[in-house]
Amino acid sequence: METATSIVEESIIKRSIESRTIIKKEVKNENNKPNLFLMKAIEAIKSAAYAALGLGLILVMWTLLCKYTHDELPGPIATLTVLWELIRDPFYDYGPNDKGIGLQLISSLGRVFSGFLMGSLVAIPVGILMGASDISKKIFYPIVQILKPVSPLAWFPIGLVVFKNSETATVFIIFITSLWSTLINTAFGVSSIPEDHKNVAKAFGFSKFRYLTKILIPYSLPHIITGLRLSIGVAWLVIVAGEMLSGGTGIGFFVWDSWNALSLERVISAILIIGTVGLLFDKVFTYFEKKVSYK
Amino acid sequence: MSHIEIRDMEISFPTPKGRYIAVKDINLSIEKGEIISIIGHSGCGKSTIMNAIGGMLNPTQGTVTVNGKKVNGPGPDRGIVFQNYSLLPWMSVYENIFQAVDAVMTCSKTEKREIVENNLKMVNLYEHRNKLPGQLSGGMKQRVAIARAFAINPSVLLLDEPFGALDALTKGTMHLELLKLWNLDNREKTIIMVTHDIEEAIFLSDRIVVMNDGPASTIREIENVHIPRPRNKLDIVNSLEYKSIRDRLLHLLTNKFSVEDMGIDYKK
Ligand SMILES: Nc1ncnc2c1ncn2[C@@H]1O[C@H](COP(=O)(O)OP(=O)(O)OP(=O)(O)O)[C@@H](O)[C@H]1O
Ligand SMILES: [Mg+2]
Repeated sequence: METATSIVEESIIKRSIESRTIIKKEVKNENNKPNLFLMKAIEAIKSAAYAALGLGLILVMWTLLCKYTHDELPGPIATLTVLWELIRDPFYDYGPNDKGIGLQLISSLGRVFSGFLMGSLVAIPVGILMGASDISKKIFYPIVQILKPVSPLAWFPIGLVVFKNSETATVFIIFITSLWSTLINTAFGVSSIPEDHKNVAKAFGFSKFRYLTKILIPYSLPHIITGLRLSIGVAWLVIVAGEMLSGGTGIGFFVWDSWNALSLERVISAILIIGTVGLLFDKVFTYFEKKVSYK
Repeated sequence: MSHIEIRDMEISFPTPKGRYIAVKDINLSIEKGEIISIIGHSGCGKSTIMNAIGGMLNPTQGTVTVNGKKVNGPGPDRGIVFQNYSLLPWMSVYENIFQAVDAVMTCSKTEKREIVENNLKMVNLYEHRNKLPGQLSGGMKQRVAIARAFAINPSVLLLDEPFGALDALTKGTMHLELLKLWNLDNREKTIIMVTHDIEEAIFLSDRIVVMNDGPASTIREIENVHIPRPRNKLDIVNSLEYKSIRDRLLHLLTNKFSVEDMGIDYKK
């Protein structure tokens, strides 16, 4: 009798413990989702706070620099006022030496895109050749190694001589700039195609064309886009310097012109705009990079 | 002339420490329609021999002849299932098979699609045809590779551990599918298979090639399996023939020492 009750009791206790643990689990599960959301929100706020801290640091240094130069360098507020004026009316056109910042940007972007496009159209096929065949690697690699470290601006005089036109010469230096990263990354991507993938092509007798479109390009596309991203980044760096040399229009010319007009507010505003555009380029290509990477 | 002839074959690989001889003195004649298993310890050169028959690598010495022609590259007469599946990760299951069929076969697009679909159904992956290889389990990947090799309808099938990653149940089904295919083709397909599974080897093969350990491994022994076909898995395990072959293989493949020999005494 005693043993029987104790067994019953035991089982009741067990069950109640079990049910309690189950309830606990459920509570946990319910909490899980909002917790995750909250954690993400906190994480976002945190990174925003850190970014603000960095920005604050820059502003402090900027202000100190203003003090140091006895206000020759314009402070944040004066600059932001000018920046706002520039952005408010970006497309005015008062003759060749006085155009809105939007028009200047558009002409720079036009040069960068056309130079970048032509550069990529050369760099991708040559990169594929270099990655795929040892002989073409032996032919092209020394050239790449010698020319890559040269500042693209050094090509400007050559462009001038060949094209007799500073506009085309500027596009030409962007073309040269856009070659190297794309070339090297494409070649690397193609040369690192795993033996397994090549075996598939070999075993099932893939034609050259099928190998190119179904194995080589899909495999190396992420590398190619990384190359393009780096190339356009450098092209955007170089266009500013190039337009300082060539004059006429463009964001680089705008910087130089503003400096000559002693409007440092405009120079700093242009720096901020150039940085933002560069960031956007990077984001767009990073997006494509993610898009084509297979998992 | 046999369907496949391997004569005095030696295969070595260049390594930083000089040439490494993987296999040597390999002589093997395989008749049309035979099913051969190659069995041996890891690293003894089974895949190397398969690659030589498949034309994926050239023997350093000796020759491989298939259908009377010396092998010096892969061809549509030989379908290969690689040990590591070798699927293209950016293509769906369907596309992986279709690209192979499209490259090898000369029939119309509709017929090609039909071939792909039939082979997908054969390996039970039709519902998964739109998945990428990265979304498949190891066994599923293996089945895609098998379907791809079958789809090009080769006269020689080279299967490098084709069922290694499958569970016993799926493995059994695949064995029957393989034999069904072989029977459908009037037993004219020659099948060479690498396996580590003794029971699988006995159930499927006409002959079992046992390899010595490397380096420079050779064929140790070739076991004939005289069990009449069609074979029934449940029946044959009780036959004397089956038991004697299994014991022989176990003897050849198991190291002589036991646990006690390794200095571990479990009685303590
Ligand atoms: N490309 C290569 N270069 C150098 N050595 C190689 C190469 N391929 C194979 N080997 C060597 O040849 C030997 C046999 O390799 P193989 O892949 O044929 O073994 P295996 O019998 O298939 O083994 P497993 O059962 O593990 O698949 C190994 O010692 C391996 O290191
Ligand atoms: Mg192997």
